[in-house]
Amino acid sequence: MNPFVGGTERELAGAVANWAKGLTERIPAAEKQGAMPPDVIADLGRLGVLGMTIPEADGGLGASTVAFALVLEELSAAWPSLAVGVAVNSGIVASSIVRYATPDQRARWLPKLADGMGLGAFALTEPTSGSDAASLRTTARPDGDGWRIDGRKQFITNARYAPFAIVLARIGEFDPKRTSAGITAFVVPLDAPGVSIGPSERKLGLRASDTSALILEGARVDRDAVLGDTGKGFTIAMAGLDGGRIGIAAQSVGIARASLAIAKTYAKERKQFGRPIADFEGLRFSIAKAESDIAAARLLALRAAWLRDRGRPFTREAAMAKLYASEMAQRATHAAVQILGGNGYMRDYAVERYARDGRATTIYEGTSEIQRVVIARSLLAA
Amino acid sequence: MKILIPLKQVPDSTVRVKVAPDGKAIVTEGITWSISPYDEYAIEMALERKDADASTVVAVVTVGPARSRDALRQALAMGCDEASLVTADAAAPLAVARALAKVVEETKPDLVLCGKQASDDDQGFVGPALAEILGWPHVATITKVVPVEGGVELWREVEGGHEVWKAPLPGLATVHKSEKEPRYPSLPGIMKAKKKEIPERALAAMGVDASGPTWTILSMEPPPARGGGKILKDGDTKQIAEQLATALRDEAKVL
Repeated sequence: MNPFVGGTERELAGAVANWAKGLTERIPAAEKQGAMPPDVIADLGRLGVLGMTIPEADGGLGASTVAFALVLEELSAAWPSLAVGVAVNSGIVASSIVRYATPDQRARWLPKLADGMGLGAFALTEPTSGSDAASLRTTARPDGDGWRIDGRKQFITNARYAPFAIVLARIGEFDPKRTSAGITAFVVPLDAPGVSIGPSERKLGLRASDTSALILEGARVDRDAVLGDTGKGFTIAMAGLDGGRIGIAAQSVGIARASLAIAKTYAKERKQFGRPIADFEGLRFSIAKAESDIAAARLLALRAAWLRDRGRPFTREAAMAKLYASEMAQRATHAAVQILGGNGYMRDYAVERYARDGRATTIYEGTSEIQRVVIARSLLAA
Repeated sequence: MKILIPLKQVPDSTVRVKVAPDGKAIVTEGITWSISPYDEYAIEMALERKDADASTVVAVVTVGPARSRDALRQALAMGCDEASLVTADAAAPLAVARALAKVVEETKPDLVLCGKQASDDDQGFVGPALAEILGWPHVATITKVVPVEGGVELWREVEGGHEVWKAPLPGLATVHKSEKEPRYPSLPGIMKAKKKEIPERALAAMGVDASGPTWTILSMEPPPARGGGKILKDGDTKQIAEQLATALRDEAKVL
């Protein structure tokens, strides 16, 4: 039982978990090929998962953040590469549009996040700006009745599958004293003139999810491509990341849980020294510790989600959840590999994949170091 | 067209069934319940008709204990339009068929699709009995339904091909399998299903004749545990093959 979760939320997550069971056999081939099968994304559209965070008035499900976190946990447990694509599409991208877009923009863009034809992208990171996101160099200049955007975005999740990306670009000169000044969010359709996608990155894990560069060379967008107010893009990005961190925390929980589940089954079946290895205290303690860690991380993630659903501040709680859950996922997935021993290192068992996939969680949507900065800032503010 | 599917809630196929201490029932505490798989195929078949023709109305009904409401809710979440529950903690199969006949007379479906049998007791009784009570034509174990002039075509898989029957409506068929796997409920489907009313009434209050043959479980036991296998390793390949053939003929008696 869990104080942050209601029956309906559990039911929605259960339905997604049921569907996701059918994915298992498809994962090895898709991971090897490095691409998400389009019919899987289409299925998520049909099931209403992609539109679950979009308000009912905009044609979505209007589900709570708690429900979305539970769904992401289930998707991650089944297939982390799929979960990260959904986390970006239905998390940071959808919530930024819902919160900052005009009615016209909502009507135009939200259906594209829900229809299963693709997954939306959020383009903040650049080759020279990661943790120091405000130092981004992509520029936007007025051009006739629209804008011209120039720059290069890096490590963009879903770039190849995206109907559009939210692109952060600076209007005016970079001011070292006010680094976030002028940063503006634009909704850029990926078929706009001047937009191209770089080669797909070759990654340690999450190989079936797409991570590519987004190249903007004189990219031309209309005046109504600005999301929110000009110059307020950094606030939009930071607010988006706050919510996104809950998703990554949930994802970490799903990865750790699935990995440990394999280890538990294995430990009960595998015999050494004449008995199941689950009889040995060293392994029992490892499993007990990992399971406790997972439960704690889940509670942190759901607490942050619960606060967000009630309109209360949750920046610190989301950062804590993301920090703890992602670090926990490293320990838990490595413990699972260790329990399986030599088999754990082989591709025949999925624990090696979960360990590789989980590695990203301490890095994206703000590294563990940045989470500590966020948490400390809120604790030690004057 | 209106299609009615009488369904049954059964222990989920993933449940590890345990025999209760009295040896006359299974342990039902804490197990997961689902729509019987053949009934799910019937639902999918009906929903495929609805996908092809939006004017199709798909209704579900069940006769069972109060927990069966969850199975109806699941059917609504898959996309069925209406559901109703007839409560009965235990009922003779013939009484179930009579109650369903009454529901059919009231709701007037054009076509009734039943799963060919429930996956718990595997009797396959209710579908044909219901057709008999109604005096309706009945085709068993179909895999496809196609509306045609004056009725429906009902397809059955037979050795090496298909049989196609033409039946007038109203009619009843039992379903072996649908063309596609049963769909998963969508999240909006689940939310919509929650808002739908599921009318409920007791079988005992329907004035249905509850007499008729029934059965009593005398005892139940799990299948015997599988014995260890036998490994043939002495001799060359030819000798081992001979030993295997002998064992299959004389010990396993499968040749």
